[in-house]
Amino acid sequence: MKSIVLYTEQIEKRFGGVRALRDGSIEVRSGEVLALVGSNGSGKSTLTKVITGVLSSDGGTIFYHDEPVTYNNPMAAQKAGIMAVYQELSLIPSLTVAQNIWLANEPKTKFGSIDDKTMNEETAQLLTLFEGTFQSSLHPEAYVLNLPPDERQIVEILKAYSRKPDVLILDEATASLDSKQVNCLFDLVQLLKSENKGLVFVSHRMDEIFRIADRAVILRNGKTVGEVVISQSDEDEIVNMMVGSTAGLSRVFSNKMDFSDKETILRVGNLENDRLTGVSFDIKQGELVGIGGLRGQGQSSLLHTLFGNDQYTGTITLFDEELDFDHPKDAMNHDIALIPGDRATEGLLLLRSIFENLHLPNWAKYSRPLLRMKRAYSDAGEVSDQLKLVMESLDSPVSNLSGGNAQKVVIGKWLLRTPKLLLLDDPTKGVDVGTKSEFYKLLGKLQQSGTTILFYSSDEQELLDLCERVLVMQDGNVKADLSGEQLTEANLVFYSMGATNNNHHNEESAHA
Amino acid sequence: MPERNKSKITQWWRKLNVRHSLGLPLILLVLTTVLYFILQPNITRSGTVSRLLTSNFRTWLPVILVTIGQAIVILGGGLDLSNGSIVSVGNVILALTVTTPDEPGKNILMVVVVIAFGLVAGLLNGFFTAYLGLQPVIITFASSFVYSGLALLLLPSPGGDIPREYTSVYRSTQFLGIPLALIIIVLVVLIWTFFRQRKYGRFLFAVGGNDKAAYTTGVPVTWMKISTYVISGLLASLAAISYSLLTGSGLSSSGDDMTLASITGSVLGGISMSGGAGSVIGAVFGGVILGNIRNIISTLKLDSWWRTLVNALLIVLVLAGPGFINLIRGKKK
Repeated sequence: MKSIVLYTEQIEKRFGGVRALRDGSIEVRSGEVLALVGSNGSGKSTLTKVITGVLSSDGGTIFYHDEPVTYNNPMAAQKAGIMAVYQELSLIPSLTVAQNIWLANEPKTKFGSIDDKTMNEETAQLLTLFEGTFQSSLHPEAYVLNLPPDERQIVEILKAYSRKPDVLILDEATASLDSKQVNCLFDLVQLLKSENKGLVFVSHRMDEIFRIADRAVILRNGKTVGEVVISQSDEDEIVNMMVGSTAGLSRVFSNKMDFSDKETILRVGNLENDRLTGVSFDIKQGELVGIGGLRGQGQSSLLHTLFGNDQYTGTITLFDEELDFDHPKDAMNHDIALIPGDRATEGLLLLRSIFENLHLPNWAKYSRPLLRMKRAYSDAGEVSDQLKLVMESLDSPVSNLSGGNAQKVVIGKWLLRTPKLLLLDDPTKGVDVGTKSEFYKLLGKLQQSGTTILFYSSDEQELLDLCERVLVMQDGNVKADLSGEQLTEANLVFYSMGATNNNHHNEESAHA
Repeated sequence: MPERNKSKITQWWRKLNVRHSLGLPLILLVLTTVLYFILQPNITRSGTVSRLLTSNFRTWLPVILVTIGQAIVILGGGLDLSNGSIVSVGNVILALTVTTPDEPGKNILMVVVVIAFGLVAGLLNGFFTAYLGLQPVIITFASSFVYSGLALLLLPSPGGDIPREYTSVYRSTQFLGIPLALIIIVLVVLIWTFFRQRKYGRFLFAVGGNDKAAYTTGVPVTWMKISTYVISGLLASLAAISYSLLTGSGLSSSGDDMTLASITGSVLGGISMSGGAGSVIGAVFGGVILGNIRNIISTLKLDSWWRTLVNALLIVLVLAGPGFINLIRGKKK
């Protein structure tokens, strides 16, 4: 058995009255990848933050190289060789890539000033680890604020790696990466493994856990509920331990619907702007169309353009009416709703109540002659029941909700308007399994009631489970329009990677 | 990279703008300086330029020093509304105690006392804002009343008399035709550059850019923030010394105008109010721009409200400039 480099015993952490962690116990061994699994709010992030000194614990002990240790700040943990790549990024937007990677670890000249030349050179060296997976705008002297999320995540990973840690914690580090970038990261993980480092891998993506991890610790409601050896386990076992019951994830739409006789409601012709390069497609009434592809290929921009948020040239025709939006209000008046990807900045007023958030786009409905608060409350109550919102009351602030519940509020505020066209921008990113399946059911209901849905997701499995048709985007354009037999995981990946050869998908679809 | 193809000047200008946000301040500096010199009647006579530089820089030095301090606080993500009041206290202490050149030991001691006061006042500001995590605007606004109250207590009515022997040294010393005040500014900027190229500078910009991220990366955020207020206090005490040498007397409200001037100067100097972007040279530019505007208004014999109006318009221009440019280019968002 490999030697244990770090282990925790019954770590506890309270936030006010809430016990986020009651018994966090893990063993990290050198030369091994330990996966930390659990649904949102199970305490994974809290546990990693206690280990790295970002949070102080309320009980329990951390043993590092068999010595009990306490780190009161991240500096102390880093000095000891414990580093983490965080889910919420720890980068400074106004500094360059190199400055960020070497922050608080800068190389010095013999005069004691910071050696920018060496710093930039070593950064360029580090970037070769991810060579070919990012745009040329990512270079050592680029400012982080100009980088897209996936490239920021790469910088974050390299920053942790450059400090040569003994224990490296990857907290949802793959969430914003595409598959090529994930491959590079996993190569890096293998390298660290071979150097006998201890690795902790926190992820929602089961396939990645099975690809990279050696063991997995499962957390539920702030408690370590079990540990499995990955090679002797399967997805069902882990999912069951996570949710605490035998109910697994099942496909929501088993019987595919036929739309050939429905009328076309949305026609997009040659849409162009700084992210899009001539997108054209049609959507029929009641369809649920997925948008796939690697991250950052213009998917979000397409949705925002349809919502009147981004400028464009080209035509958008909805119900035979050519639209010319220059403000989201126009889109709202045409019964279009957008559920943004970044709920904290684009979707919610975090400090305001759930009630206010739900009604933000809807006050006009209740305004004649005075605000009809009673109606508003009862409508909000209905929606929150429908969404199975777990909350104290409608008046508590949204910031008190967990990630999944907060996302439900974003959806809820548009449901109150009963949209005809619903645009979703990667809505399940970082949302736990339970909330996801409720969310899928909700989409199903909406679709049955006649809502047309355009749904971007970075999770291929999700697209396959939910959609009858998927538009695969690459470089700001639709590379493939997959439906029926052609809609397979192999094809999704194939077209995402920018391949155009047709031989491949035939053999793959036969096998799928 | 497409930048390679552009000419050297375009590259230099880009770097100046992107890395140091100095483009607009430099334009304003050149414009106001040229305008000021054009308006001077005897500009062609030999010695006029040198005389004007000497008299201007000795007048501007106090404001430029507090502006540098303010800029460092803002770069670190804070704001110091008490630096003017620290100047007042220092000025009052010197006016009351430095009355004769016959006691050099005591006079030096009083200068040390003024500097110590600046450091302690800054430390208090830093303790309440950075260590206790209270709002800088509120804390330093409140402490400004404490300090200006102290100044008023020490010297209720204007007075004091600093010996001519000291003031003339400040007013007319030159090295190779460069006025003493300008040399002091260059020294301060050089010392700052020394720290700027070390950990301290990098940490400061990191803290101002995103203090949470800086903390998780292992930057001592609290100490960095406290240090910016201490530096601001130190520079305010140096401003008090130069102000006292400039006027030769004491006034309990001597620094009142400097607080706002230091913020205005920082903004005109391209320092982002949200922290983490800008440069200390910009702050010097800002201070000079303010001085030029004041001089131009008085040369034109305009009412003093013009000064306020022009300053205000320039702030709007500098803050809104990037937004207007994007608007003209047709970019939304």
